[in-house]
Amino acid sequence: MKRFLSDAAAWLRNLPAGITAALVALIVVAAGTTIILQSEGDYREQKSEEAQVQADILAASIVAAIDFGDSNAAQEAADAMRVNRQLRGVQIYDRKGDRIAGYRRDGLPPKPTLAASRAAATPGIAAEARVVNGGRQIGTVRLAVDRQPLDSRFGRYFVIALLVLMAAMVVAVLGVAQAMLRRANRELEIRAAALGEANAELTHQMAERAKAEDQLRQAQKMQALGQLTGGIAHDFNNLLTVIQGSADMLTRPSIKADRRQRFAEAIVQASARAAALTSQLLAFARRQPLQPEVIDVNAMIASMIDLLDRTLGERFTIKTDLSDQICAVEADRAQLASAVLNIAVNARDAMPDGGTLAIATERITGEDGDEIAICVTDSGSGMDAETITRAMEPFFTTKGAGKGTGLGLSQVYGFATQSGGDLRIVSKPGEGTTVTIHLPCSDAPLPQPEAGPGEARAARIGAVLLVEDNEEVGEFAEALLRELGHSVTWARSGAEALVAVAERPFDVVLTDVVMPQMSGIELADQLRRLQPELPLVLTTGYSDEIAKSGAGGRPVLLKPYRIETLAKVLDEALTGASAREE
Amino acid sequence: MQSFRLLHALSGALAAAICFAVAPAHAQASEQAIKAAFIPKFVRYIDYPPASRPGAGQPYYLCVIGRDPFGPLIDRAAASEVIDGHPVAVRRFANIDAEAVAGCNIAFVAGATDAATGQMVEGLKRQPVLTITDARVGRTRGMIHFAVVDGRVRFMIDQGSATARGLTISSRLLALAVEVKP
Repeated sequence: MKRFLSDAAAWLRNLPAGITAALVALIVVAAGTTIILQSEGDYREQKSEEAQVQADILAASIVAAIDFGDSNAAQEAADAMRVNRQLRGVQIYDRKGDRIAGYRRDGLPPKPTLAASRAAATPGIAAEARVVNGGRQIGTVRLAVDRQPLDSRFGRYFVIALLVLMAAMVVAVLGVAQAMLRRANRELEIRAAALGEANAELTHQMAERAKAEDQLRQAQKMQALGQLTGGIAHDFNNLLTVIQGSADMLTRPSIKADRRQRFAEAIVQASARAAALTSQLLAFARRQPLQPEVIDVNAMIASMIDLLDRTLGERFTIKTDLSDQICAVEADRAQLASAVLNIAVNARDAMPDGGTLAIATERITGEDGDEIAICVTDSGSGMDAETITRAMEPFFTTKGAGKGTGLGLSQVYGFATQSGGDLRIVSKPGEGTTVTIHLPCSDAPLPQPEAGPGEARAARIGAVLLVEDNEEVGEFAEALLRELGHSVTWARSGAEALVAVAERPFDVVLTDVVMPQMSGIELADQLRRLQPELPLVLTTGYSDEIAKSGAGGRPVLLKPYRIETLAKVLDEALTGASAREE
Repeated sequence: MQSFRLLHALSGALAAAICFAVAPAHAQASEQAIKAAFIPKFVRYIDYPPASRPGAGQPYYLCVIGRDPFGPLIDRAAASEVIDGHPVAVRRFANIDAEAVAGCNIAFVAGATDAATGQMVEGLKRQPVLTITDARVGRTRGMIHFAVVDGRVRFMIDQGSATARGLTISSRLLALAVEVKP
């Protein structure tokens, strides 16, 4: 039974909602009709029982009247039944079936015999009772009862019918609603599927676009690399032309001393520019170890005025507005100078017909404390918004091929951020440009102005252990060190250096960083364990390790270096060591 | 005056004849036949004291005392009546002096004169017997007294004297009486 019910329920669920609702509504209507019919049947049965009882009572009460043929008494007994308004009529028949007494409420003539009365159709409920005396039937009572008037019956069934109809309607409405819901769900599913397809298409397109962007980026990178290498090759070729030409001239035997001096200076200058160029490249790559020192920005800018004048040319006026509220900053002096120079060169290029370059310093309070702002403003052509956003991109340049590397502002930006500051550009087309370098203030006191360029001789001399794997650089460095008056031992590897240190004492170690097997940093770490007091100077043209982990507090001499720088660094190292000793 | 009476009687007879003619078959075809049919039926509506009820298989005795106006009519009527298994037997007596009269349960009394009828009815009061008289015989009334009212045979009941003899008359029978004397 249970299984049958569950099967039926499953079957119903699988039917469309509309049909299910119609079925249920039909069942409800059928049930209502059955209830009404049943009720009507019960009513009829009850009525006929009542009629039978009345007939029996009447039959019992007229036994004597029929027995003695007293039709008047029988008529009286029949008339007594008139009290019951539902009786349509009462007839009393004798043994032979002839009518003795009775009445009809409708006043029509009664049927003369029992057989005729039985044959006639009665609209109500008929009941018969035998009149029995001493076991013999002596007569018959027949009566007809009106059914309840139609309106009162209808009144009873109307309520049921109404309830049934309402239930059926509710079911029908629910079914229709369910059907609509299902349809809406189907539409929703279709839409969801369409949406899913659209989403997949979109994802596909996005992937395609990302691929295309990657390809574009790669192409741009290659283009930029081409630009860069072109620019660098151009610059280097110019410099190499000078160096090579000058060197060729120097090799001629019959050359005068003053010309020899000029060629030598030309080589020195060209080399310096080449060094500056590689320094910029490294700054862009942010792989240049910074050598932060405490700088008085005002003094530095003041000292650069002559240089800027020469760089920009005669058609330019340089104005300065240096704040006296200035504080010291800790930054790489050469990089800062290079940054200012880069901005100035850009300003010059933006003013082909000449103009004014204003340099101002200001102390401002930023989010992370006090900062120095170095503003360089030109009266040039200015930049649009897109150019500003791209200005700091590496290799981006508005200058013609070979005129710029696209690394200038990129170097400035790299330097500023590496020093804990920022770079900002404010410009509008036709209204000039202001480039501002922000650098954080340092707690250190402002350095005292230096007492002028010193003699290129070492103040202190000592035993120097030179560690250098490159033969040319090693020879050159050994010559320079001897020229400065130091005694030099040249080790060609870290291992050789360790052996030398074990054999005899040295005052200072000058070691290259990038070497096979043991790097200068590793050597320095080992020497610190063996002889913690032995001062050590690192020298390098480029080093991942120093850029990554720093020099560990050790002084770094950047290649290419000049004899004055070498003398100064070694001097400081020796002085520090002797100070500790004292 | 005589002729007037005669005329009256004739007209009454004529009226009765017409009545009989048009009445249904069960109606009073003959006044005597109807009375003869009625008398055994009364037994059914009378409750006798236990002592005077017939024993098992014994009949109720219907006695015709004095003149017999019914003849075989009453024998036929009695033969068709069975009350609770007891048949009805008809006995005829000239007067109430016979001993057998003591066994009567119901008695039609018709003396030669009204006074004789009255004596016999009085005499029967010694036993529980339902006495029946007829207005055509005389004015003396038994417990049930036949009379023709509106051309139909009807009867009057003297419930008081019946009760005095220990007889209880059914209310159904009382309902049919023209007059009930309590």
